[in-house]
Amino acid sequence: MLWLWILLGAVALLVVLGVVGYNRLVRLRNEADTGWANIDVQLQRRGDLIPNLVEAVKGYAAHERGVFEEVTKARAALQQAQTPGAAGEANDILSAALGRLFAVAEAYPDLKASENFLRLQEDLTDTEDKISAARRYYNSTVMHYLTAIQSIPWVLVAKPLGFRAKEFFSAEGDTAVPQISLAPAP
Amino acid sequence: MTLQQQIRGNRLRSGIVVFGFVLLLVVLAGLVGLALDVSLGVVALVVALLYAVFGIVRSRSLISGITHAQPVGPDELRPLRRLVENVSIGAGLPVTPELRIVDDDAPNAFAAGLRPTSSYVGVTTGLLRTMPKRELEAIIAHEISHIRNRDTYLMTMATIFAGVIALIADIGFRSLAYGGRSRKGGAIVVVLAVVGFLLAPYAALLLRMSLSRRREYLADAGAAEILSDPEAMALALNRLELDTTSVRYADASTAHLWVESPTDRVDSERRGVTALSGLFNTHPSIRTRIAALEEAGGFRLPERLPSHKPFAVELGLG
Repeated sequence: MLWLWILLGAVALLVVLGVVGYNRLVRLRNEADTGWANIDVQLQRRGDLIPNLVEAVKGYAAHERGVFEEVTKARAALQQAQTPGAAGEANDILSAALGRLFAVAEAYPDLKASENFLRLQEDLTDTEDKISAARRYYNSTVMHYLTAIQSIPWVLVAKPLGFRAKEFFSAEGDTAVPQISLAPAP
Repeated sequence: MTLQQQIRGNRLRSGIVVFGFVLLLVVLAGLVGLALDVSLGVVALVVALLYAVFGIVRSRSLISGITHAQPVGPDELRPLRRLVENVSIGAGLPVTPELRIVDDDAPNAFAAGLRPTSSYVGVTTGLLRTMPKRELEAIIAHEISHIRNRDTYLMTMATIFAGVIALIADIGFRSLAYGGRSRKGGAIVVVLAVVGFLLAPYAALLLRMSLSRRREYLADAGAAEILSDPEAMALALNRLELDTTSVRYADASTAHLWVESPTDRVDSERRGVTALSGLFNTHPSIRTRIAALEEAGGFRLPERLPSHKPFAVELGLG
């Protein structure tokens, strides 16, 4: 009789531990999903600013077509990116393209002084800061989540239960301004 | 110890302290029940409950009154507002806390509010004039991790708990001393009750202070984690220590809210910090806090501080 009780107690304990652990995994996964949503909002906001920026620069430097195309293409690639890894890469390419756009803008003092352009530039910088803040949060949630699903005993059951590994959002490639030689403005 | 371990360790200890509060309350209620009338015990508990409710309702409006924190208009101080937004995104808060400014020359900051969604961060104008951007960001991250860790909530509760315990102990003590007929139980119980009623308020005060100090370490570690930059927090603390101005509207009741203790620092330095006086401080010494960050982050603060441009310059403030 005593053995039966001990057995029952052990089973009950296992069930409780299982439920607590499972709920923890769900919480960690949701946190990572929220973290990704935060990045997505900022990427979206960055993408929305770009057409205005391109228009503003076009008004002064219509002939710099190559740079506009590059920026527009990079923006489209970012909006089509499906996974965090791909989005991170696309985001880096966009940053590089934007760097070239701003380098072009350097050559047009009227453009640089225009209220609209300054405001856009400020908003873009702010969005980039927010992307990097959101990235720090997302990457730390992913790290906690990965640690949890890769530890014993959960590593054995995580996959069947639907806890798949998540990608980090690229940690490298903070907007480095590329070196470009510019002919002085006509 | 890594930052993660520090955070876990501090959470555990805070849990133990809260458990201590509950235990103290239960012991007190038991003493009232044993040594006195049961009905008196019930009355004491009801009064305590009313006191607690009153305390919670009151706390929302009072704090900003005591600290003289002013809300900021939607178009003012945009770079600062953006800084707060970025830090709260980095901390993963669902809502950016409101920003308030305290017009005071002492560099300091605080966080308040019972829930993360209705919280706010207050900074003094002195802080803006002292801190460069990187360090200001660290201070704001410190406040935001107080909000994220529910410290503002916990400390409000701890204050109320301490008040309730003092109240029940007082009622119990007076009843024992003057209400001769309602006394029950043997001599031992009565002696135990007297000792308990006398010591309980001090025990509650000690618990509250140690809770507050734990929370400071936790928030420092949290700030370092949010920014991935433990050195910024250490630099900011170092700069706070170099400054000797005290906050004008500092008050013992809100001392635990600030990033650096607004009241007891100068006093304790004058006395020389002894083990005993250290027990009743709301904040650990800045030296210890910097040492904890240095250990966790694996760096040493340079002898000479990096030169800086205060953030107030970027804001266009004098």
